[in-house]
Amino acid sequence: MKVLIIEDERTLAREMMIFLEKAFYLCDKAYTAKDAKKLMIENEYDFILLDLGLPDGEGLELLDDTKRMCPNASYIIITARGKLEDRIKGLDLGADDYLPKPFSLLELQSRMQAISRRKSGNNDPVLELGDFNIDLNKRIVRFEEKEIDLSRKEFDLISYMLLHKNRPLTRLQLSEHIWGNFSDDDYDSNYIDVHIKNIRKKMVAYAPVDWLQTLRGIGYKIKI
Amino acid sequence: MKLLTKLTLFITLSKMFIVIFFVLLLPYLVSLVSFRYTNYYLLQQKKKVIAEIDKNGIDYYLQGDSTYASYTMLKEEYISLVPATSNNIRDTIETSRRIVETDTLNYRVLIHELIDSNKNYILEIGKTTSTIGEYNNLLRRFTFYILIGLIVISVLVDLVYTHILLRPLTKIVRTKLLNRKFPFVEKLSPIKTSTTDFKFLDDSLISLMEKIHEAFEKEREFTSNASHELMTPISILQTNIENMMMEEDISEDQQERISGMMKTVNRLKKIVHSLLYISRIENDQFAKSDILEVRELSLEVMEELSPRIETKSIHFTNNISSGIKIKHVNRDLIFQLLYNLINNAIRYNRESGSIFLSDHYIPGKSYTVMIRDSGIGIKQEELETIFNRFKKSGKNKGEGYGLGLSIVKSIISFHGFDIKVTSEYGEGTIFNIIIPVEMVERED
Repeated sequence: MKVLIIEDERTLAREMMIFLEKAFYLCDKAYTAKDAKKLMIENEYDFILLDLGLPDGEGLELLDDTKRMCPNASYIIITARGKLEDRIKGLDLGADDYLPKPFSLLELQSRMQAISRRKSGNNDPVLELGDFNIDLNKRIVRFEEKEIDLSRKEFDLISYMLLHKNRPLTRLQLSEHIWGNFSDDDYDSNYIDVHIKNIRKKMVAYAPVDWLQTLRGIGYKIKI
Repeated sequence: MKLLTKLTLFITLSKMFIVIFFVLLLPYLVSLVSFRYTNYYLLQQKKKVIAEIDKNGIDYYLQGDSTYASYTMLKEEYISLVPATSNNIRDTIETSRRIVETDTLNYRVLIHELIDSNKNYILEIGKTTSTIGEYNNLLRRFTFYILIGLIVISVLVDLVYTHILLRPLTKIVRTKLLNRKFPFVEKLSPIKTSTTDFKFLDDSLISLMEKIHEAFEKEREFTSNASHELMTPISILQTNIENMMMEEDISEDQQERISGMMKTVNRLKKIVHSLLYISRIENDQFAKSDILEVRELSLEVMEELSPRIETKSIHFTNNISSGIKIKHVNRDLIFQLLYNLINNAIRYNRESGSIFLSDHYIPGKSYTVMIRDSGIGIKQEELETIFNRFKKSGKNKGEGYGLGLSIVKSIISFHGFDIKVTSEYGEGTIFNIIIPVEMVERED
């Protein structure tokens, strides 16, 4: 998967690149609209991450141009302006998703995966987790043929952790994903503990869940 | 009272007052004028009589008698000459009663001492006053009618003119002040008038509104810029820390510290988010064009919060009546309002506590939504300051109300609602949201 990061904040672009490369994406960076156009003529991209506030041009106009140059790419708009009009305009112009700054890199990757899954229908959305199968489309966790009854939030949590497997995930990162803008620091961290406890309880009845590790003082990790 | 009405009343009343005053004064004025005229007339007559006597001699009139008297046929005037009984009578004019033949009449009489051939005579010239009175009445009626006519005409002219004169003002009020909604987006055109005061007023209003609009735009721009300027560095920090967390060769201790940094950055993010949110509300950047059913929305909030409610085993009762809608509101903001209040009710509740939602509608009078919890409560002395920004409940250090209630407060004032809070420390808290009854609709 090839990704073009169009972001004028160099540090941010670098961090995004470090993160995505660890997740086995191939990344290019462009700090200006001009550079971005040049790169797009030379390369094909699967993902274009576009910051709206570029120094040499309005990002939404660039989106219009790039849509013609790279029609097959998926677009995620990244902006600090967070205005509703921008969001609607961006999605109208054909962006696939919209991520307001500041965002979590985990969230970015999870959105990218969701878009990939949506776009390529033949992609097998059933993932293995120990002795369990997780069907991301139907939102079902199975042990052999038996369905395990998880709540909506519990499913969100386990699938998010699976997506970011082998990474330490803090309670905060998890609660931010579960609650979005409504997340509530310390207070929600406790709820994450409660949810994880419930997930363990429900799943351990079928098979061991050693893959679900607790990191003391930090959070959780799925190790497979 | 409108200016035009006031002016109309003033013009009509002041003119009526003048008329009444003048009509009351008229008899006095008329008699004053007629007396003066009569006096003047009598003096003129006297001069003529003396001239005649000088020409013809006094005996020509006395014809041997000691007295002479003569009057016109209807006794309007008379003249008499009688020998004087005393000396040095000065010329006088007086009103007095005289008997002429059989009639007793009131006369205005001029008395003059006449010396002729060493003999003194008294000359009297009289003119009845009854004719004067007749004139007086006629004159009075006549003037009264003319005055009334003039007044009616002048009041009408005044009213029409004032109306025309005030027309620019009415137009200013109508186009610039009434039905104008903040933040005055549309451009205003000046009003055509030759009255400089109105021109000045109009120009001042236009420039004032333009200034407000500019300031508002600046504020809006600032909010947008500030959010960009603040969010970008926070964003860099967050991604940086997230990447550090993933480093493979860091110790558990380092991981824990990074996790702590993440929390701090998150707190910063929350604060900036909330402040920008409040500033957006206060800058009127949300449309008030939604209609929503209160019960439906409250159920939505409950659904969103249900995992938290369940985790804390809280007993939740929603008694909000269905079919009551509120209009001219912003759905997202009202959602946030209920969310923050119910979230607090969960957060500051005890394990297996209760939350009770209800409403009270008195048609035409009031609509109140109540949120009651069995939580830790708020101390009396802290009740006043809970809506202030960054004010923390002293006992719960680190877990203060933060900006949640400040957001509540700004949403409340944005919609013109009111909020009342009562609390029993250790027992629970009740929030009452009072919604203006004009915004409430009930479906049957």
